[in-house]
Amino acid sequence: MSNQFLSTFADSVAAFSTSLFTPEAYLDPGSGSYILQILIAMFVGGLFVLRTSWGKISAFFRRRFSQNKDSTSDEE
Amino acid sequence: MKNDQRLAESFRDPSGFLFKRDGTLFRQVNRTYADNFNYLETSKLSKALSDAGLLIPHKIVEVEPADPDQAYKVLQPELLDFVSYPYEWSFSQWKDAALTTLDIQRIAFEHGMVLKDASAYNIQFHQGRPILIDTLSFEISKEGEPWIAYRQFCQHFLAPLALMSYSDIRLGQLLRVFIDGIPLDLASRLLPRRTWFNLNILSHLHVHALSQRHFANREISKTSVKRSVSSNAMFGLVDSLRRCVLKLSWNPSGTEWMDYYEDSSSYSEESMQHKEKLVQAFLIQVQPASVWDIGANTGRFSRLSSQQSIPTVAFDIDHGAVELNYLESKRNEETKLLPLVMDFTNPSSFIGWNLTERMSILGRGPVDMVLALALVHHLAISNNVPLGSLAHFFRGISQWLVIEFVPKEDRQVQRLLRFREDIFSSYTVEQFEETFAAYFRIHTRERIHQSQRMLYLMEALPFNDS
Repeated sequence: MSNQFLSTFADSVAAFSTSLFTPEAYLDPGSGSYILQILIAMFVGGLFVLRTSWGKISAFFRRRFSQNKDSTSDEE
Repeated sequence: MKNDQRLAESFRDPSGFLFKRDGTLFRQVNRTYADNFNYLETSKLSKALSDAGLLIPHKIVEVEPADPDQAYKVLQPELLDFVSYPYEWSFSQWKDAALTTLDIQRIAFEHGMVLKDASAYNIQFHQGRPILIDTLSFEISKEGEPWIAYRQFCQHFLAPLALMSYSDIRLGQLLRVFIDGIPLDLASRLLPRRTWFNLNILSHLHVHALSQRHFANREISKTSVKRSVSSNAMFGLVDSLRRCVLKLSWNPSGTEWMDYYEDSSSYSEESMQHKEKLVQAFLIQVQPASVWDIGANTGRFSRLSSQQSIPTVAFDIDHGAVELNYLESKRNEETKLLPLVMDFTNPSSFIGWNLTERMSILGRGPVDMVLALALVHHLAISNNVPLGSLAHFFRGISQWLVIEFVPKEDRQVQRLLRFREDIFSSYTVEQFEETFAAYFRIHTRERIHQSQRMLYLMEALPFNDS
């Protein structure tokens, strides 16, 4: 059952990667690696941006939050 | 006509090659690599990597090139104490080599270059740390171009590490057969099913293998690929590989030899201390330039040598012992000790193109001194190697030999003989000394306190006398 699922999953990945290019002439024996890398890089590249941005975003909100807190305590 | 010897390791690379002249190692940079080399130097990448201890330092020298028609520059790289290969590394050595490669790719990309090779053979252990030795591995990055060495990284690093971590530590030895890394379809088949649920292993190994098979017989033009790899995507790819490698682990508990010193039936503490004192005295007496400790276990005796700044290789057959030895040397920042996995009943041989691409262990010798402590009984009794053959072997690889003879009465030898017929009538101390005396001059013979074991210091006789 799980094998069938994995096999279908792998076929879907291959079908998606096929949609990224049009067959023309010979590339090299590593063409599977080449195509797959583009796919993975697209996905993990997005995650990488999110991960590196997350620190900046959370620092921004932390700063804002602590400013608000300070001004509230000043008013008190 | 100069007496130049081109080294076989770099024969594939059109960018340049290594050669030896009068015992000095040089690297010729060819004119075809001039643009990349200039960029490497002017972008400060070379300096950044050398300063970080990631690239072997070199200096540009004014000597006549080995092939003047093609030459652009000649470099003189810093020398390694010893060349090792991935199938001789413990798990953590391989893992550290993988992380070093990824760090180099990241830093190179930040400087506008990429690694065009991610070969595990380009990483060597120098002063205790993994370092890139191939200065010509870089090329100027082209915008949007995928990482050309991605497949090689997966075959040389990720597949063996995943197999060693998830399946069996001994599968790293597959590189002795598959010199250009483990084929991904084979790795995928050998990995357990649970690895299909690990997103990193799934994508970089399993789906990668399927993708290779899917596209194997299809004709695809490079220009027809519609997508490219942005710089964030490249950093993301390297980051993803790094996270994948970092999560792989192996625990050496339960392997054969790692508890050997703790096993009270082997030695009393007084015996150990006496043996240490003797080995130490031999090292001080001979002052060898290099030492191989064969059957080093976790390196207790190897350290007597390396702590005197003698480049020392600590070989052991057991992955667990070598792993613990490496982790300790890393923790202590030791620079002269290199632990390696080696089975001397079937040691690394010459392999690769024309049988010259990777050196045998004997091809990397001879060494000034060999330590063969508590080893002879394993070779002579467990492996039926005649004493004469042992003496001949040690004579071939070393000038000085510190060797321990473990007699039949010893409990360890009794253990080896417990379930087999004793066919070793010539395994006696008298026969041992007589046999070795044909190849070595025996300088010192000492009985180790509280044991029947003997320790010898021997010096090789000239070959025509032996």
